[in-house]
Amino acid sequence: MGTQFEHPDLPRSGIRFIAFGVIGLLLFTVLAGRLFQLQVIEGRARAEQAEAARTADVAVPSQRGLVFDREGRPLVINVPTWTVAVRPADLPAARQNAVLGRVAELVSMPVTQLSARLNAFVGSPFDLVPLVTDINRSAALVLAEESASLPGIELQVVPRRQYLNERGEADGTLLSHIVGYTGPINALELEQLGDAGYLHDDQIGRTGIEAAFESELRGAYGSARWERDASGRLVKVVEETRDPTAGRNLVLTIDARLQRMATESLLWGMQEANVSEGVTIVMNPQSGEILAMVSLPAYDNNAFAGGISDELYQAYLTDPNLPLRNHAISDIYPPGSTFKLVTGLAALQEGVTTPARRWQTYACYQIPGAPAGDCLYDWNRRGFGQLNMVEAFAISSDTFFYQMAVNLGVDRLAKWAYELGFGAPTEIDLPNEASGIIASSEWAHTQGRTGVYTGELAQAGIGQNVIAVTPLQLLNAYAALANGGHLMRPQIVLGEADADGNLVDRYEPEVLHEVAADPANLSLMRIGAREVITTGHAYNISDLRLPGALSGKTGTAEFGLPDAEGALPFHSWFVAWLPSTPGATDSPLAVITFTHRATVIGNVSTEVVKYFLQQYFNLEQDLRLDPVTLRQLSGGN
Amino acid sequence: MGVAVTTFEVTPAARWRDFDWQLTLYVVLLLGFGVILGVSAAWNDGPSPPGVIPQPVKTVIWSGIGFAVLAVAASVDYHWLRTFAVPIYLSTLGLLVLNLLAGNEVFGAQLSVTIGGLDFQFSEIAKVLMVIVLAAFLAGRGQGIGRLSTIIGAGLLTVLPTALVLRQPDLGTALVFVAILGGMLFISGASIGWMALLGGVTVALTPIALGALADYQLSRLTCFLDPAADPQGACYQLVQALNAVGSGGWLGQGLTAGHANQLGFLPVQTTDFIFTIVAEELGLLGGFILLALFGLLLWRITIIGWRARDGLGRLVAMGLATMLLFQVVVNIGMVIGLLPVTGIPLPLITYGGSSTVSILFGMGILQSVRMHTRTETF
Repeated sequence: MGTQFEHPDLPRSGIRFIAFGVIGLLLFTVLAGRLFQLQVIEGRARAEQAEAARTADVAVPSQRGLVFDREGRPLVINVPTWTVAVRPADLPAARQNAVLGRVAELVSMPVTQLSARLNAFVGSPFDLVPLVTDINRSAALVLAEESASLPGIELQVVPRRQYLNERGEADGTLLSHIVGYTGPINALELEQLGDAGYLHDDQIGRTGIEAAFESELRGAYGSARWERDASGRLVKVVEETRDPTAGRNLVLTIDARLQRMATESLLWGMQEANVSEGVTIVMNPQSGEILAMVSLPAYDNNAFAGGISDELYQAYLTDPNLPLRNHAISDIYPPGSTFKLVTGLAALQEGVTTPARRWQTYACYQIPGAPAGDCLYDWNRRGFGQLNMVEAFAISSDTFFYQMAVNLGVDRLAKWAYELGFGAPTEIDLPNEASGIIASSEWAHTQGRTGVYTGELAQAGIGQNVIAVTPLQLLNAYAALANGGHLMRPQIVLGEADADGNLVDRYEPEVLHEVAADPANLSLMRIGAREVITTGHAYNISDLRLPGALSGKTGTAEFGLPDAEGALPFHSWFVAWLPSTPGATDSPLAVITFTHRATVIGNVSTEVVKYFLQQYFNLEQDLRLDPVTLRQLSGGN
Repeated sequence: MGVAVTTFEVTPAARWRDFDWQLTLYVVLLLGFGVILGVSAAWNDGPSPPGVIPQPVKTVIWSGIGFAVLAVAASVDYHWLRTFAVPIYLSTLGLLVLNLLAGNEVFGAQLSVTIGGLDFQFSEIAKVLMVIVLAAFLAGRGQGIGRLSTIIGAGLLTVLPTALVLRQPDLGTALVFVAILGGMLFISGASIGWMALLGGVTVALTPIALGALADYQLSRLTCFLDPAADPQGACYQLVQALNAVGSGGWLGQGLTAGHANQLGFLPVQTTDFIFTIVAEELGLLGGFILLALFGLLLWRITIIGWRARDGLGRLVAMGLATMLLFQVVVNIGMVIGLLPVTGIPLPLITYGGSSTVSILFGMGILQSVRMHTRTETF
């Protein structure tokens, strides 16, 4: 080529070629070395990391345990519901409005609410975000059919708790305070319970049995290892690492039929006496088993199971009668004359009086050490002459028990209150149990006071002013009297059952402690309680033809603030049990009713218990007093 | 050498006897390797929608077109390249401008232009064309090769296309241009001293260039330095790639059985991260075989370059060698965490019609160099 002569060619450098080759060889050696390091030296560790990145341990939910009543009636079951959820990663932004719009149309909700729920979600776009829970079956079917044109939308079958009444109907008002409900777990609980296998969208028992027996009912979630792709989507199960263990089925001590009777009788009495809050508890005093526990007004726990609406929840919260609270165990009230059991037993035990000793009663009891005329009236404002313990208990003389309390002193009175289970939770397996208030020197100190005034002490002797108890505490104390001195732990769960409600594992009754009282004194108080009935202090209840010697104690008290006409509201108590003979310890039944804020003077709780007993024993008698009569009755304690 | 030799025309048929079959064999083996990996990568993606040709098939078609281009390039005397150096340079710039103006956006960069339903990545052919342009320029420097002006001239020729691809932004191709420039200057006999000086200045100016980088480019650089910095975010791809490579072990998990590959843990598996499939599914053995194939190819190109009849042929060969060596080292280096992540394809393996045809075009010119080595002296 001619050009070669015009332009002398470049020199060829062997050294530079060799250098080029050496550099290339060096670079390849480095690559090879690094590959050896990654694949052979670090190979195992990296394979494990890769494995971890592409697998996920996913909980396999267990079936939550069912709940039955003692007769095997189902009270809590699991029903399938449909939830519409969206996986944001699968929903193209451009189609979001159209897709959510169609879903909104099917479930009859404003689309803005759905997009608000989607936008409020913070988390991985691969997580499922629940949009609408509990959609109806037809909407679910249409959604399933249209799934191809609704990217990102997934239909989940979610089990939901359904609460039943004694007839097996969905009815969340009969047993809501006992059974409680489940609700979505919150962030704090998730942090505390995450190790126990709770998931971010899990349900957890919120109150009642659902909360108290959460671990038993929940069982143990299983676990499955899934292979997931790079976008986090689960592809297939690699292995079942742990099988789920179904939750245990519980049998309550409750008899749903008795619960219904107790509810109906209490509702009737509340209506008659214009009462806003009431409690009835029925118990077997021998075992401490709770057969019925009614707190009114009640709430609908089925409303919670499906995700309660804000309106209803606000209504529950702002209701002055606190329907969400179980008044039977969570609220404390002055026990009134029913507390005379404590004062009387203490006076006998501490030697303040003897069974035979008679004490003068007064129209108005002069408080020792107080200015003359500073006195406390007996309830009839006349006095009852001279009374012994049984007579005073039967007639419920206030001035008798003022004297007992003053002679005991506050700490000996408190000691016997504790002995009968007051001032401490009864340890029933339900959440939110109150302890109550029992006046004592120590209690006064916690109130920043040096002691308890004598006037207060006298009033404490009749269960007023500085004494407050839960209805269950009061019933339990009387149950201990009725059974011969065993303070039982009130039992709400009888045991565990198979799927049909047959008891397979019975929880044994527990004695909290033996009441350290002379059996003769306990017997004397039982006789006094029998006299309450027979002397007519509880009106005509003694006319009921019952298979036993009904014994009991009434209590009424004015409390709170006077109404427009200057009249104070009344609350009333009646606690009763049914031994075979007067003073016997074989009663299978004890019942208490408490009514709050009655506008009648008569003891409406007595009427409620009477009505309950009439139904319980299927009596043909109906001895209920009408409200006019009740209004005219004297305010006997 | 400057020795006047008597040359005789060699018949075309005689030249084709010098067609380098070894070079061709390595190219074919690498392309086949790429097709197999493509099949494995797409194994779990389900059947292609009707009317869409699967990637491995496309690769075979593009390879066929590439070999036709190779044959044409081989049959033309490469000395014509010098004659047409200026138009080649101008058309290189023109293609890159076109890419910039009409490019389709892929991952935020204008990497390809669609013409008649086909995507063209002009930066791929631009790399080969720049080898030709620089070879023509440097070969023409003759005895003046050692002067500073050589380096400045070649540098200026390279700056324009580099700036154009950086605008896309395509950092990877820009780096390839610079690498080609360096490699060709080195082989051409340019002054080592001046190269070191200017290279040093360039490195010193790097922080300024880093300031011009987009955030995502910067985060890729930081991930390289510490992959644990953000394993779920910016460094996700690199961490997954390293673990996938590591899980390959000695012999790999078997073709189509690589977990990371099949589960889509490597988002751009068939493009820049295809080496992870080699490592995961074929293990250290597969990686070494691939490295060996590239090594043999580069060795063969270097031999052709060494034996080339003149500086032009030598520079064309070594420019292509530099280009391939740089891409192989940088691509594999980034997958195995030795180098920062930059978008540079693995030659002949990464799926891409433009890349395959461009490299085969380069191989065609190389064959021409090989076939014109013999000067038939008597």
